[in-house]
Amino acid sequence: MQLLPEQIMGILPFGGVGAEVVASLIAAAIIGTIMLTNTALAGPWAKRKITAAFTDRIAVNRIGPFGLLIIVADAVRLLSKELIVPEGVDRPAWDLAPLIIASTALLGFSVIPMGSIVGINMHLADPEAGLALVFAFASMASVGLVMAGYASNNKFSFLGGLRAVAQNLAYEIPLILTGVSVVIFAETLQMSEIVAAQQETLFTVAGIAVPSWYAIVNPFAFVLFVIANLAEVGRNPFDIPEAPTEIVAGYQTEYSSVYFVLIYLGEFIHIFLGGAIIATLFLGGPAGPALPGFIWFMIKIWAVFLFTQWARSAVPRVRIDQLIEIGWKGMLVLAFANLFLTAVIVGVVL
Amino acid sequence: MSLEEPQAPDVGVTGEGDLDYDALEDLLGDNVVDREQHENAEGFVIRPDEVEETLSTLKEEAGFDHLSSVTAQEYQDRYESIYHLKKFDDPTQELSVVVPTARDDPVSESAAGVFDTAEWHEREAYDLVGIEYEGHPDLRRILLPETWQGHPLSQDYNQDKPQIVPLREHANPMEEKTKIPDDPDTMFVNIGPHHPATHGVLHVKTTLDGEQIADLDPDIGYLHRCEEQMCQQSTYRHQIMPYPDRWDYISAGILNEWAYARAAEDMADIEVPEYAQVIRTMSAELCRIAAHLLAVGTFALDIYGDFTAIFMYAIRDREVIQNILEDLTGQRLMFNYMRLGGVAWDLPEPREDFFEQTRDFLDELPDRLEEYHNLLTSNEIFQMRVIDTGVLPPEQAKSFGATGPVARGSGIDYDLRRDDPYGYYDELEWDVITEDGCDNFSRALVRLKEMEQSGRIIEQCLDLLEDWPEEDREIQANVPRTLKPEPDTEIYRAVEGAKGELGIYMRSDGTDKPARFKIRSPCFCNLQTLPVMSEGEYIPDMIASLGSLDIVLGEVDR
Repeated sequence: MQLLPEQIMGILPFGGVGAEVVASLIAAAIIGTIMLTNTALAGPWAKRKITAAFTDRIAVNRIGPFGLLIIVADAVRLLSKELIVPEGVDRPAWDLAPLIIASTALLGFSVIPMGSIVGINMHLADPEAGLALVFAFASMASVGLVMAGYASNNKFSFLGGLRAVAQNLAYEIPLILTGVSVVIFAETLQMSEIVAAQQETLFTVAGIAVPSWYAIVNPFAFVLFVIANLAEVGRNPFDIPEAPTEIVAGYQTEYSSVYFVLIYLGEFIHIFLGGAIIATLFLGGPAGPALPGFIWFMIKIWAVFLFTQWARSAVPRVRIDQLIEIGWKGMLVLAFANLFLTAVIVGVVL
Repeated sequence: MSLEEPQAPDVGVTGEGDLDYDALEDLLGDNVVDREQHENAEGFVIRPDEVEETLSTLKEEAGFDHLSSVTAQEYQDRYESIYHLKKFDDPTQELSVVVPTARDDPVSESAAGVFDTAEWHEREAYDLVGIEYEGHPDLRRILLPETWQGHPLSQDYNQDKPQIVPLREHANPMEEKTKIPDDPDTMFVNIGPHHPATHGVLHVKTTLDGEQIADLDPDIGYLHRCEEQMCQQSTYRHQIMPYPDRWDYISAGILNEWAYARAAEDMADIEVPEYAQVIRTMSAELCRIAAHLLAVGTFALDIYGDFTAIFMYAIRDREVIQNILEDLTGQRLMFNYMRLGGVAWDLPEPREDFFEQTRDFLDELPDRLEEYHNLLTSNEIFQMRVIDTGVLPPEQAKSFGATGPVARGSGIDYDLRRDDPYGYYDELEWDVITEDGCDNFSRALVRLKEMEQSGRIIEQCLDLLEDWPEEDREIQANVPRTLKPEPDTEIYRAVEGAKGELGIYMRSDGTDKPARFKIRSPCFCNLQTLPVMSEGEYIPDMIASLGSLDIVLGEVDR
C-alpha cells in the first residue's frame, strides 16, 4: 500500500522533485494536525474528565456539551498569558527547549504506521531503520528537558533537569532492550514489517482467531515495556523530573504562556508517542476487526493514555534513588534476561 | 507501663502521686529564691543565672522531662520568663519556674542546653517581649522581620506607630544562610514560602548536597497575626472566644476553643454542666476527625504528588463532617461554638435528624478508613516511601516538646484527654493510639487509627445525648456578665488539640481583660523537630516528614 505522501503526489497536478516536497509537507501537516488535535482533546478536556472520574469529581461541564468547549477557552487563556522571561536565563537554550520537547515527540509519528481510513494510508515514511528512528526521536525529548532545567537559572529546574537525565538513563536502556526482543521476533526494524509480522493467527479459541500480537506472544516483554514507558513519559510513579510538591514543577518551573503550552503539549504528544510505540510493537499496530485501522490505532493509543492517567491518580511517586535502583538493578536485569531468552527461543526453537 | 515493675516515684512526688512542692524545693536548695502561687502549678522563683542548673536538676532528678512552654512578660518593675514544666508520664504534675530579670538589663540564662524546645520558645520571647537569653545558640527574631524596631509586647513599645520596613532596608529573608559556608559541593535552596508542599507560608532554608539535605532551617512568621496581642485586648467573657478558631484553622476550631474555655473556666472557677461537656466532647472529636482527614489527605498528596484519589476522598469525607458541624454550630470553619461555662446552643432541632445524620457518618466511617488503609498504608510503593524515613527518636521528640500524633508516632504514650482529663473523656471507653516506628509511616498510621477512636467517642456521646432527660439539658452555667478574675491569678492549662498539646497561659490584673495571654502551639513545637527528621535524608523525604508533622501555619505563627 502506498504511503501518504505518495498518495498525495498522485493527485497533485505537477510532478518531479517539487511535487515530492509539496506532497511530503502536506502529508506531514495532516499527521501533525491529527496528533495535535488528539493532544488538544487530551490536555484540557480528557485529562480533567479522567482524573475527575478517578477522584470522585465531575470536572468541566459548563462550557459546551460535556464541557468540550473548555478546549477553546483554555487555548485563549493560555495564549493570552504574559510570557515571563526570568533574569539570567541562558538564551537561546531556554527558548529552544520547549520547541525541542514538543517537536521531537511529534517527529516520532513520521514513521508510525497509523493504519488506513477511507483508503488513505496514514503512514508518512517507512524507512528500514524505523524502530531505531522512533526510539531516537522519543529519547531526544530528554535533551529538551536538560536544556530547560539548565537554562532556566532556577535551582528547582536544575534539580528537575538532573533528575530527568538520571531517570532517562535508567529507563531508556531497558526500554530499548525490550524493543529489541520484539525485533528478534519480527526480524526487521521496519515498522510496517513489524506490524505485518503480528497479523498471523497464533491460535484459535472457540472460533475466534487470536493474532500473534507480541503482547500475547511475549507478555513479559509487554509488561516490562509498559512500565519502562511510564518512566519514559514521566508519569506516576515515575514523574520525578517534575515532582510537584518536591521541586515545584522541576524543569518547567520558569516557563509561562506559550512556552509552557509547548512543554505541556510535548508531554502529551510524548505520551501518545509512547502509546503508538506500544501499539505498533505489541498490539498489532492498526489491526483490529470491523472498524478501520486508523480508528483502532487511535483506540489503542488512547487506551495507553488512559493507563498513564490511571497510574497518575492511584500510584504514589517513588523517590529518585529508589527509581534508579529499580531501573538499574531490576528493569535492566529483567530486560537482558528477556532479550537473552527471546534470542535463545527464536534461535533454537523457531 | 503495667508490665514494668512498679517504679519508685520521682523525687518530690508523694505516695498518692501528687507533687510535693516542699520536697522539690529541698531538692533545688538555694536555687529557689521564692515561691509563687499559680493555679495547678506552683511557681519557684529562681535567679536568672541559675536557669540551666535548676532545670537540669528538675529534669534529671525530679523527672520533669517536658518543657511545655515558655512565657515571657513584662511587669512595671521587672521582666519575667516562666518555664512551664510537666512530665510526659503524668502531665498533671506541673511546675512553673519563674525567672525574673531586671527591667534595665533583661538578661537571663538560656534553657536551650537542657530542653531543645527552649530554643524557639526563647527566640519568641526575645522577639516579642525583649528578654535576652545568655548562652542561647542562635538568638534572633523568629516571628517578626530581622529589621523590626522594638519588642511589641513590651510596655514601652509604641503600638500606634506603624513600622514600615522598605524592601531595601529589609533584611532579605531569602538571603543565603547556611551552616556549611562556601562548600562547592552544596547548593542552597529556599523551599517556600511559596511552594506546593509547605502547607501554607512556611519557608525552609535548605542546603542540599546533591539530592540529600545537608542543613535545614525552618523560617516562620509569615502568618503572624498578633493573636496573643488581640486576646490581651479582648474581654474574657465574649471577645476572646472567636480567636482560637483562627489558630489551627483546618477544621480544628472547637478543639482550640476548648483550650481557651478550659483555661478561663479553671481560672474563674466555673463549673460546666455535664450535658454541655458531652456536647463539647462530641463536637471536639468531630473536629479531630475532620482535621486528621485533611492531615492524611495532604500527606498523601505530598507522597503521590498530584490531586489524587486519596486527597479527594479525604476532602469528600471531611465535607460530611463539615455539614454536621454546620448544623450544630451554624458555621463551617470558624465555629465560635463554645462559651465560658458551656456551649452556644443545644443540638439542632429536630434532634432525631441530627442524630441520624451523625450516626450515618459513623456507620460509614469504618469502611472509609478501610479504604484509606487500602490506598495508603497497605500500598507497597507508599510503604517504600515512608517506612524508616523521617525518623524521630522518642528522646529527641520529648526534648523538642513534640506532642500529639507526632509524639505518639514515636511511641510516647501521651494524650492529655486521658492523662489530664477534662470534658467527658474519662467517663468514656476509648484508647490512646501509639506506634513505635518513629517514622513518617507511624505518624500517618496514628492519625488513621485515632479517627477510629474518635468515632468510638462520638458514638458514646450520641448515646448519652439521646437518653439525656429533657429537663436536665443544661448547656450553660451561670457566668457573670463581666468576668473579672482575681488580680494576679496565673494559670497554664492545656488540652489535646488536633496537632497536640494546645496550652494557654493567662495572667489576670483584676480587669476584664487578661494582662498576658500566651498560646503554646503544638505545631510550633512539632515543627522544631523537622531538622532532626530530615537532615541526611532526601528532599522527597523531607517533604513527606513535613506532611507527616501536619503543621498549620496559622497555629505556628499565631
